[in-house]
Amino acid sequence: MSEMWINMGPQHPMTHGLWNLRVKLDGEIVVDVDPEIGYLHRGIEKISEDRHYNEVITLMDRCCYVAGFSWEHLYILAAEEALHLAPPERAEYLRVLCDEFQRIGSHLMWYAAFVQDIGLMSPFLYGMRDRDLVLDLYQSYTGARMTYEYMRVGGVRNDLPPGFSAEARQVLDWLSRRFDEYDQLTLGSDIFRKRCDNLGILKANDCVAHGVTGPMLRSAGVKRDLRKDRPYSAYDRVEFDVAVADGADVTARYLVRLEEMRQAVRILRQVLDWLDKNPGPVMAEELPRWLGAPYAPIGREGYLLKRNFPKGVGFSAVEEPHGEAVAYVVNEGGEHPYRVKFRSPVFSNISAARKYLIGYHVADIPPIMGSVDICIGEVDR
Amino acid sequence: MQPDDLSRHLAPILGDRLIAVEPFPETAGRVRFRREGALDLFRAMRDDLGFRHFSTVAGIDWVDHREAVYVLWSDDAKQYVLLSVDLPAGDPRIESASGIWPSANWHEREAWEMVDLNFDHHPDLRHLLMPDGYTFHPLLRSFKLHEPEELEVKARHV
Amino acid sequence: MTTPAAEVTPPKSSPDGAFRLEAELPMVTEPAVPFLEIEALRAKEFIPAAKEALGALIAEQGQARVIRPVFNWAGRNSLFPLHWGLACCAIEFAAAFGARWDAERFGVVPRSSPRQCDLMIVNGTVTWKVAHKLITLYEQMPEPKWVIAMGNCATGGGPFRTAYSVVPGVDKLVPVDVYIAGCPPRPEAMLDGILKLEELIRERKE
Repeated sequence: MSEMWINMGPQHPMTHGLWNLRVKLDGEIVVDVDPEIGYLHRGIEKISEDRHYNEVITLMDRCCYVAGFSWEHLYILAAEEALHLAPPERAEYLRVLCDEFQRIGSHLMWYAAFVQDIGLMSPFLYGMRDRDLVLDLYQSYTGARMTYEYMRVGGVRNDLPPGFSAEARQVLDWLSRRFDEYDQLTLGSDIFRKRCDNLGILKANDCVAHGVTGPMLRSAGVKRDLRKDRPYSAYDRVEFDVAVADGADVTARYLVRLEEMRQAVRILRQVLDWLDKNPGPVMAEELPRWLGAPYAPIGREGYLLKRNFPKGVGFSAVEEPHGEAVAYVVNEGGEHPYRVKFRSPVFSNISAARKYLIGYHVADIPPIMGSVDICIGEVDR
Repeated sequence: MQPDDLSRHLAPILGDRLIAVEPFPETAGRVRFRREGALDLFRAMRDDLGFRHFSTVAGIDWVDHREAVYVLWSDDAKQYVLLSVDLPAGDPRIESASGIWPSANWHEREAWEMVDLNFDHHPDLRHLLMPDGYTFHPLLRSFKLHEPEELEVKARHV
Repeated sequence: MTTPAAEVTPPKSSPDGAFRLEAELPMVTEPAVPFLEIEALRAKEFIPAAKEALGALIAEQGQARVIRPVFNWAGRNSLFPLHWGLACCAIEFAAAFGARWDAERFGVVPRSSPRQCDLMIVNGTVTWKVAHKLITLYEQMPEPKWVIAMGNCATGGGPFRTAYSVVPGVDKLVPVDVYIAGCPPRPEAMLDGILKLEELIRERKE
């Protein structure tokens, strides 16, 4: 049979974003693939060079729009290192709180989109409903559902509102019961098992060689989690397990993500306990007004009072919901970063598509690519 | 792993192609090398020192020269390492790492597209984020951003 | 089509009063066109009664004046947006179809093929790389069709307006009917934009 190239994208229900998977088919079998990205390239790295350090945070929220907090955290860590600043301890715990709620929110969004690809409609509604509960919590202390601008160089913008802890615990109790229900809906469904088992297999060696990280890597049995291996913020002060599976297939990725959500609930309970007991400042002292976010007047006047920070280079890496994200921030003095470079985990995960798509049927592409959890905003930046 | 360990291991392999190994906070160090030693260094990092995960390569335009910063991760040492190499602006050419780490492929394509670093023996050096035929390198310092209205006015007067 | 409002015949109703045609639209003063109420759907004898009443009305007033409001009524209550997600706003677009907001109660059902759609919701940043594909998709949609620019990026480039790769506003490429502000707009804002579009369609004449 003759072979042919087919475009799946940029507008295609499989893509969950704006990218193009060019597939070479022999009948129903995938012979070759060529992912084509860049349809959402917004030049975030270039725009950052024209922005003040705190203004880059705005771009970070939009860079990965399902994991805004994690990307804020990534940039903040690198920028603080470049500017030689340290946040107070309470701000570190608040950042972990944000990160882990974000992990739940992001995985729920993934769950909702992924099960719909397989043809299960009601889990989509359940996933979106529970995600809205988490988004309500973000809203109570940042004022926004998706684009928060909450973390600041040197701390976080504001403290939690009164009564947040009790409300958050209620949501966590609710969620931890729901995760079992999700398992019933998916793992208990024959359709799900038949469509997902032994699909999209990517073994540990290939994962490492192709730079695949995050739940995809851990589903292949590699126990790499930067929160554990290279703890940042308060992650060395909380207890949790790294979720690992050994199937290396779509079901294993599902299991890893569900387990990560359960572990996130565990971390959040500890963080909430600590935050209840230890009030304190959330912003580093003695910041110049153009950096000291919460009370700085917005506008030129606030920015003119500048302190010359010594030159420096900041490097940070965080485990965001999709995998390992890296930031490299160069400070050459002045108000703007000289160069900002981000490494997106999904960028590498997509680039390995040849490894986990070839040989499967064309109808297997939606579940496989769904299990990769694609956020095209951070791929193209 | 400390910077001293790195330099002790790398000095015999690279000789004068290794400039220095500097300490860098929260990493194993920052290896500064000359571009002639790129392939030997990459091979030593992956095979001997266990840095099997290629995280990214960042291109930086310093106007008079360019810099490529490689970020690697080792699962054994649980550490990052940075490799930094200076390239002349007129001839920013370095050996591709995609033969050693397949994941370098796309990252190098991006660095070529954005900062105009030329990677020798790269299997597939073509546009990644921008459309084919785009002739600029946006992350060079000489590339300036404009408000859209400004550009419209300019286009009207040309 | 230049008949003044005063000359329109009084509204007709079926014997049991379950079905009626209004003589005037509330917001359009000239020319007055008959308007089909949604309550009519609840009547059991809808189809035979509608046939009879419409037939009589068409004989009196001509086809164009009668059919157009019916078209508009049907069109605005079953808007099919194109199922695609450009950027951040796509997540709020999806949330609007989730359990809490349930956009489908307004008859809004996303379809994957542009040939089944009459509404394109541009939910995110448009880059020059995707611009010609957006235009192709727009041209593939059958008439009549509408465009909603959702969020600041689609409206005017948003925070990325200075970027080298971003189209500063999707109205540079296709005609836009409704702009929704916000970065990203909340699902309520998106639903409000759709209701605004329905108002526009209600007034549509040709």
